Amino acid sequence: MNFNHKFVFLLPGLLVLIGILIFPIVFTVRLSLSSWDSFYPGLDFIGLDNYIRLFTDDKRFWESFFRLSFLSVTTVFLQYIIGFSLALMVWKDIIFKRFFRVLFLIPMMTTPVIMTVIWRTFFHESLGPVNDFFSLFGITPLWLSDNILAKVTVIIVEVWQWTPFMFLLLLAGLLSLPKEPFLAASIDGAGPIRKFIYVTFPLMAPISIGAIIIRLIEASKIMDTVYVLTSGGPGTATETSSYYIFIKGLREFQIGYSAALSFTYLIIMIISLTIISKLLVKLLIKKI
Amino acid sequence: MKLVTDNLTFKPEKEYFLNKVSLEFEAGKLYTLLGRTLSGKTSLLKTIAGLQPIDTGNIIFEGKDFSTIPVWKRNVAMVYQQFINYPHLNVFDNIAFPLKQRKMKTSDIENEVTVAIHKVGLLGFEKRKIQELSGGQQQRVALARSLVKKAKILLLDEPLVNLDYKLREDLRNEFKNIITSDLSANSILLYASTDPLEAMQLNGDIIVLDEGKILQNGTAKDVFENPTNIKVSEITNDPAMNILKGSIDSNKIILNENVQFKIPKHVKNIQAGTYHFGIRASDMILDDKGFDFNIDIAEISGSETFLHLHQNVLNIVLLIEEVRNFNENDKVKINFNLEKLYVFDGKGDLLFSPFKMN
Amino acid sequence: MRTFYLTLKYLIITLWSLFVIAPFLWALSTSFKDFNSVTGGATYIPWLQFEPSLEGWKVLVRSPAKGGVDIIEPYFNSIFVTCTASLISVILGTLAAYALSRFKFKAGFIKNNDITFFFISQRIMPPIVLSIPFFLMLGFLGLLDNLFGLILVYIVLLMPIAVWIMVDFFNKVPQEIDETALIDGCNPYQAFFKVVVPNSIPGLIVAGLFCIIFGWIDFFFAFILTFTEVQLLPVKIVALNSSVTPWWSLSASALVSVAPLIVVAFIVERYLSKGNLSGALK
Repeated sequence: MNFNHKFVFLLPGLLVLIGILIFPIVFTVRLSLSSWDSFYPGLDFIGLDNYIRLFTDDKRFWESFFRLSFLSVTTVFLQYIIGFSLALMVWKDIIFKRFFRVLFLIPMMTTPVIMTVIWRTFFHESLGPVNDFFSLFGITPLWLSDNILAKVTVIIVEVWQWTPFMFLLLLAGLLSLPKEPFLAASIDGAGPIRKFIYVTFPLMAPISIGAIIIRLIEASKIMDTVYVLTSGGPGTATETSSYYIFIKGLREFQIGYSAALSFTYLIIMIISLTIISKLLVKLLIKKI
Repeated sequence: MKLVTDNLTFKPEKEYFLNKVSLEFEAGKLYTLLGRTLSGKTSLLKTIAGLQPIDTGNIIFEGKDFSTIPVWKRNVAMVYQQFINYPHLNVFDNIAFPLKQRKMKTSDIENEVTVAIHKVGLLGFEKRKIQELSGGQQQRVALARSLVKKAKILLLDEPLVNLDYKLREDLRNEFKNIITSDLSANSILLYASTDPLEAMQLNGDIIVLDEGKILQNGTAKDVFENPTNIKVSEITNDPAMNILKGSIDSNKIILNENVQFKIPKHVKNIQAGTYHFGIRASDMILDDKGFDFNIDIAEISGSETFLHLHQNVLNIVLLIEEVRNFNENDKVKINFNLEKLYVFDGKGDLLFSPFKMN
Repeated sequence: MRTFYLTLKYLIITLWSLFVIAPFLWALSTSFKDFNSVTGGATYIPWLQFEPSLEGWKVLVRSPAKGGVDIIEPYFNSIFVTCTASLISVILGTLAAYALSRFKFKAGFIKNNDITFFFISQRIMPPIVLSIPFFLMLGFLGLLDNLFGLILVYIVLLMPIAVWIMVDFFNKVPQEIDETALIDGCNPYQAFFKVVVPNSIPGLIVAGLFCIIFGWIDFFFAFILTFTEVQLLPVKIVALNSSVTPWWSLSASALVSVAPLIVVAFIVERYLSKGNLSGALK
């Protein structure tokens, strides 16, 4: 049997992808073994020095990692809970169902950067509406210049922006559920809460896992929001790994070192995301 | 025109899908592949169609090696057990698809498709969408599409199994007539089934498969009357033939201390020893002068009653051709129609059959 | 008890709706302000609390020479780049997804799932990691500050999405339909185009929509890889975000730029109700 056609289907896409990617990836690795910066431009070879520095001398990098984990896990968690709740609410018939569904999708359709620019004016500490509201209580929280509040602001913006994505995936999942288990539960006298715990949630487990993982992958790239809203600040309060790599690479121009950071970041992300997905699968699926 | 499979073996992982399958099919005949699920029927059909690879072996059709011919160039047609039609086309276009593929003239296509629609009884449905049809109608469309190709090899994989019971009964005869009326000196028909009753009604040559191996190959009559071993008897009877372990000693058949009888006439010159005895559920009767058995379950099915009985370790299923109520744990007296007794040796091979002159 | 749940439900929906609309309303109101209104403190309703001015909107159509912000060209650039890259990504990605769904690949220890993972893992890379190499690569190819260079880069971003969605979609189309097409005389390519594709339109549309969404919202690559010749919308607008922020033109341009995808939101909702997005996740 002639199976050559299977390659004709796969290879165009695969080869184009690899073709465009191969230079950047190989080059990044090569860069990471050099000490290219604004003082010594050029591809020299310094072996693993960059990596050694990374692991022993760079607290800021690892701090950015923890910050990133905190921010992404929190936002994804909130997005999941809110997104799921919203999906549950517009799942069955309510007034203006279609209107609400479209409305809830809209934030995701906007360009994050552009909206963040608006958010910046929104949370502006002296001229923005948020503090206008809070001034009624006599306080002016420093949304963008306080360590903790800055993080909160970033989380708020991210949640606004990306909850619709969760909402979309989960609603699609809900709409595809078979009706029989619910009918059976009704016959067994289950009320809405029990139905949710014992029927809806278990059935949605695989879809939930998929949605969470995809959102985690995307959330770990938080960059636009931080760049526009806080520029990583105040200080380094909202500096995520991507932002740190950006600063090292394109601001301080330590290209070689930032390449090493990038590569390390990539490996760590791939490993941790694989572990997290396997864990989630075990946790949620085995539990049921 | 012959289709020959020679020593086909396919073992993708741990189990054999096909295990040294060697068969010869002749034109103008209907063959039934009979076996349980996962016995290799679908694998064999798919291999002949070219959809499944093989590890070793050959398929030769009309003298030519089939393996060099890709699926789309083999002249085969197939009907699946799931209702498979092209969802994006209506009934007419579904049936016309293979002909369009062959670049037949539109006027010819119209004729052929109309004839096929007529044959399967779907006149008037030409413009309907597939999703609007019932299961039975969808299978008719699939059948029409396979007929319209006038393929030399027609493969049907349990086409009626997903229809409800009543519909299956109705369609079975209809399908059989449709297919066999088309059967010419130019075509070979393979029909896969798990249902012995269906195989009997089709009345073609039967090939009994189990775990990828051919257990028996012969006419319907022969396979039913003389199963080569116990496994075959299980596959070709529904409910399965009762197989009872016992022994022969001084001219008596002994099943246990209570159940013993004379050796029937067709069992000649048998030595003493342990054997397996087979008797169909329909070859036993309620008899006041018979043996005592306890009722485990009484199953009413359609217009028949199945009694599941035991006595010590002997378990028997008895078929009564009427609907009667029994109480569980009652006792009944039954007897065996000894003229229909089968004897298998210790390994399970057939020694004596009520139908063969040994 | 039921009324309690119902009220709770509507309360939450209302609160979230307000949260969703809030920035838009604020931007709308701000777009009608001028220097005095903005610096005087937060104000909301035009005419009641401040003098509205059309300065923010006028600026959008005025040419740069007269101090305007030209967003028409960036607008069309964004559309062109996003749509082209999405189209190519969907085509190549769908072909690859079909192969991964139907055929078995084995090169040493690399199997189907690994190849799929490779595609999808491209999404893990933050733009930073690739930006400098892409910068150098495009520079070398003379494709910096160039629409086609950008399209090339976007394909890397978007093809994984197409593959992710279509692999799952194809897994749901019964393989027997392909087989029947083969038996009916189609070679594998004809089977794909004549039978599988017509039955996959919903999936293709979803893949296309997602590609368009994620392509449109990109900021970083456009930021790094283009300067003056070619400008994309997000970059243009952020460029306005300097410290002496003309809040009014900012808000106006922002509103204009997010308008197109509202249309996309409607389309997505329609397909949602048809149950076509389900299960695009494994």
